[in-house]
Amino acid sequence: MTTDANAISSSSASNPSGGRRADSIFRRFNVGDALLGLICRTSAVVIALMLASLVLVLLSSAMPAIREFGLGFLVSREWRVNELERPLRDAAGQIVMQDGEVVTETIKPAFGALPVIYGTAVSSALALLFAVPLSLGAALFLVRVAPTLRIAGPLSFLIEFLAAIPSLAYGIWGLFVLAPFLQTTVGPAFQNTLQNVPGLRWMFFETVTISGKLVERPIPMTGRDMLCGSLVLAIMILPIVTSVSRDVLKAVPRTQIEGTLALGATWWQSCIAMLRYGRAGLFGAVMLGLARAAGETMAITMVIGNNNQINPSPFAPAQTMASLLANEFAEASEGLHRSSLLYVALVLLAMSLVFNIVARRLVIGTTSPAGH
Amino acid sequence: MIRARTERRRIFSNAMFALCAACAGVIVALLLAVSGYLVWIGAGSINAAFFTQIPTGDLNDPGGMRHAIEGTIILLGLASVVGIPLGVSAGVYLSEYQHEWLFAGPLRFIADVLTGVPSIVVGILGYELVVVPVAKMTSNSVSFSGYAGAAALAFIMIPIVARTTEEMLRLVPKSYREGSLALGASKAQTVLRVVLPTAFGSISTGVVLALARVAGETAPLLFTALGSRLLTRNPSEPFPSLTLQIYTYATGPYPEQKKLAWAGILVLLAMLFLVNIAIRLVATRHASTRLGKA
Amino acid sequence: MSILQRAAWVSAVGVSIVVGGQVASAGEVRLGGAGATFPAPLYTKWVAEYEKVNPSVKIDYRSIGSGGGVKSITDKTVAFGASDAPLNKKEIDAMGGEDKVVQFPAVIGGVVPAYNLPGVKETIKFSGDVLADIFLGKISSWDDPRLQELNSGVNLPKLAITPAFRTDGSGTTHVFTSYLATQSPTFKGEVGAGNQVKWPLGQGGKGNEGVAAVIQQTAGSIGYIEQNYAVANKIAYGSVKNKAGQFILATPDTMSLAGDGAAATLKGTILRADIWDQPGEKTYPISAFTYIILYKDLSNIKTADEAKALVSFLKWATSSGQSLATQMDYAPLSDNVRKAVDAAIASLTHDGKPVQIK
Repeated sequence: MTTDANAISSSSASNPSGGRRADSIFRRFNVGDALLGLICRTSAVVIALMLASLVLVLLSSAMPAIREFGLGFLVSREWRVNELERPLRDAAGQIVMQDGEVVTETIKPAFGALPVIYGTAVSSALALLFAVPLSLGAALFLVRVAPTLRIAGPLSFLIEFLAAIPSLAYGIWGLFVLAPFLQTTVGPAFQNTLQNVPGLRWMFFETVTISGKLVERPIPMTGRDMLCGSLVLAIMILPIVTSVSRDVLKAVPRTQIEGTLALGATWWQSCIAMLRYGRAGLFGAVMLGLARAAGETMAITMVIGNNNQINPSPFAPAQTMASLLANEFAEASEGLHRSSLLYVALVLLAMSLVFNIVARRLVIGTTSPAGH
Repeated sequence: MIRARTERRRIFSNAMFALCAACAGVIVALLLAVSGYLVWIGAGSINAAFFTQIPTGDLNDPGGMRHAIEGTIILLGLASVVGIPLGVSAGVYLSEYQHEWLFAGPLRFIADVLTGVPSIVVGILGYELVVVPVAKMTSNSVSFSGYAGAAALAFIMIPIVARTTEEMLRLVPKSYREGSLALGASKAQTVLRVVLPTAFGSISTGVVLALARVAGETAPLLFTALGSRLLTRNPSEPFPSLTLQIYTYATGPYPEQKKLAWAGILVLLAMLFLVNIAIRLVATRHASTRLGKA
Repeated sequence: MSILQRAAWVSAVGVSIVVGGQVASAGEVRLGGAGATFPAPLYTKWVAEYEKVNPSVKIDYRSIGSGGGVKSITDKTVAFGASDAPLNKKEIDAMGGEDKVVQFPAVIGGVVPAYNLPGVKETIKFSGDVLADIFLGKISSWDDPRLQELNSGVNLPKLAITPAFRTDGSGTTHVFTSYLATQSPTFKGEVGAGNQVKWPLGQGGKGNEGVAAVIQQTAGSIGYIEQNYAVANKIAYGSVKNKAGQFILATPDTMSLAGDGAAATLKGTILRADIWDQPGEKTYPISAFTYIILYKDLSNIKTADEAKALVSFLKWATSSGQSLATQMDYAPLSDNVRKAVDAAIASLTHDGKPVQIK
């Protein structure tokens, strides 16, 4: 079965011998082929140039921050845009005085990307966790059940329309409907049931520094937190993952399903067979969803709470790389701040590149020489 | 024993069946929740003035969004003219020229990475690569332009269209291509007459998704098209867009302008709804005529 | 119809839309500015009103943020930039040095402590150090003795205080934190001043609307928002103790006085003054100028006529336009400040020649 999938997905690539060589003698002189090849290759080059220009612009603008922080940027947790000026204290904690005046020290701004790397990774992962099972279930329903009920058309249309709702609209809905609901209903419900469960205290309490002392206090339920951000992301990627998955599953040959059913498989087992058959394409669908989740800017900024912190609680506000840019870029005039923000953008780019490569290797394994 | 196991499997299977139906139900319910809310907050402020007037600057009588509606249509048109052909042909390359693995493999990564670039970064890129050079080359008092905005939108569209096109082309059975080639058709003929038409319906889905995605974008336009309160059809000037106008009003202090923002979202939604229906009709008719021929 | 034909048809339509649109109206002057979000509604009103007087001059102002405004004018991608914060040394150098730049205040805005206290009808009084300690977390309940001392006679509830702050960079945060830093050394050392700071606790919101949403949704919350935002959205806000010891509610008049207090320090072509915590019996203490920034030589503008149109507009905005400011709850510039602004505008040139206005 896997070989079949590869044969389809790698089309003409997998027969490098014999007939193809003979064909190519004719094709060499075909103007249409040459033109198509030219057009397609040019477009391919354009895409490569797009990334190249992106990397170049980001690199050159991020250079001051790269020089200043190096790779330490990736693991530093501090993000403070403004300079601090405070009284210098000696080893004993006493304020240093000189000639009757308080000596002050200046603390430079600090920029570290760890909180936003964490925020992007966790919010995207949670979004996939919520969205992928729903999408696959819905896609199976659309392909296996809906046609028999004659509702496949309208249903597909509805779901594609969900994809057409602009992110701004999701943001507004998230901010005014979902967040208050989480704040007043879901959050407190979790709080009441789980608060006293041993080992879950971290979900509802945080430690803050108030006038130099560490104080533990309950995390205020705002509704605009990691949970809300992930949920909105999940809703936003549902349609794209569902509709692409549906197309993938639709293309699974009928014989595959009928074959498994004939062998006595239940409905669900034949579904599993379909999912397995289309897994390369489904992976593509999930990657599209992930890309959208990681890069989503406007909606997530409205609902995630925008706090550059690493707090494992789903009820604590967080920040993603994209929301950080949306929050700070427009007002960032100072050189190092601006270039640190672009460094963040560069990190996001690098992260998605690495993730793409690793995930492809993991999911597809070495079965496909074409790299699909 | 065996029967019990079969029975358990059957029950499990039925449960999963119900779960799949529930998934579809949840997604539809979410759609109704989101769009219902948008209708609820926006519908009241849609009137004739909304479509015929431009902003007045007046707080109690803010005018309409005619300029922004036209602006969005033109921006999307421009972005599509560039983005769709480029995206589709790159998708064809990824799918039909994948034996050129030295390039096709990395290119797929590149396209995937590009689809995940935050839209605000695309705006920054558009500013640095289009707006600033234009300022240096010309002495226009303002070098933000509709062209820069459309370029930014196309930048977002191209990888999405390319990747969805590729996925859809891959689903066209290999036998179609072989059949066509065996009948003496050239590769170009095979791709244009057999492969692309077969996948036309699902590629158009991808195009709608890409269009919808950029239609709702604000961040890439902020530093490129800039927005305008004036009625302009000249894309070499700062250019209005619905999303920019919505963003300005929604984040501003004045209640009457906010109402207009909510109405704007609803109008944008309605526009995308119509595009969605139109493309779907074209795709269905296309599919049925092909079926008729065959 | 093949796919190619269809595509060709679609692109033909697209191109014709664009070409059709190229027909620009002749004899019209189009100018653009970009930058700060805070004054954007007023600037939009200004250009709309100015257009009624001079129909051939179409000016467009877009709010893309102060940072974006400074960058745009530096790159010469707009005719004028606008920023809530005055240019710093580095930014002036990037534009070519002090003698190349003109910067002047266009209007004054104030930041108010807005709160959500169910059941309390009276206007709450605040002082700088109390506000600082609220935002530091030291005062954590509304019935704190220090708040009660300021508000004798008001029945303050025993309700936890939730501070609300801006998460995005903004001039609003800059004004508010700069003011608090002058009032509390601890605040200065721990949080500091800037258009974006790290708050020790509280809830964040993006933009005025984000903070307003926190305030409206959370009983016991207090946040800082722009005065005109609070007025337009009917959010309750408190009065603040000024340098003279008076509790002053932010209004266009009291904020305008803050600008007047700094008029004497406005000299040259790059005008700037921090006007929080100014002296005066009726001066509101948390106020700030918002600035317009131009190249002194308007060579980034194509023709002398366009330069003339821009300068006339700026003169109009800083004189007749000021009365519109009051209507929209911005504070107008006082006469003394306007004198300095007039001088700065008069220094503008185009290709080396002074811009003549009738």
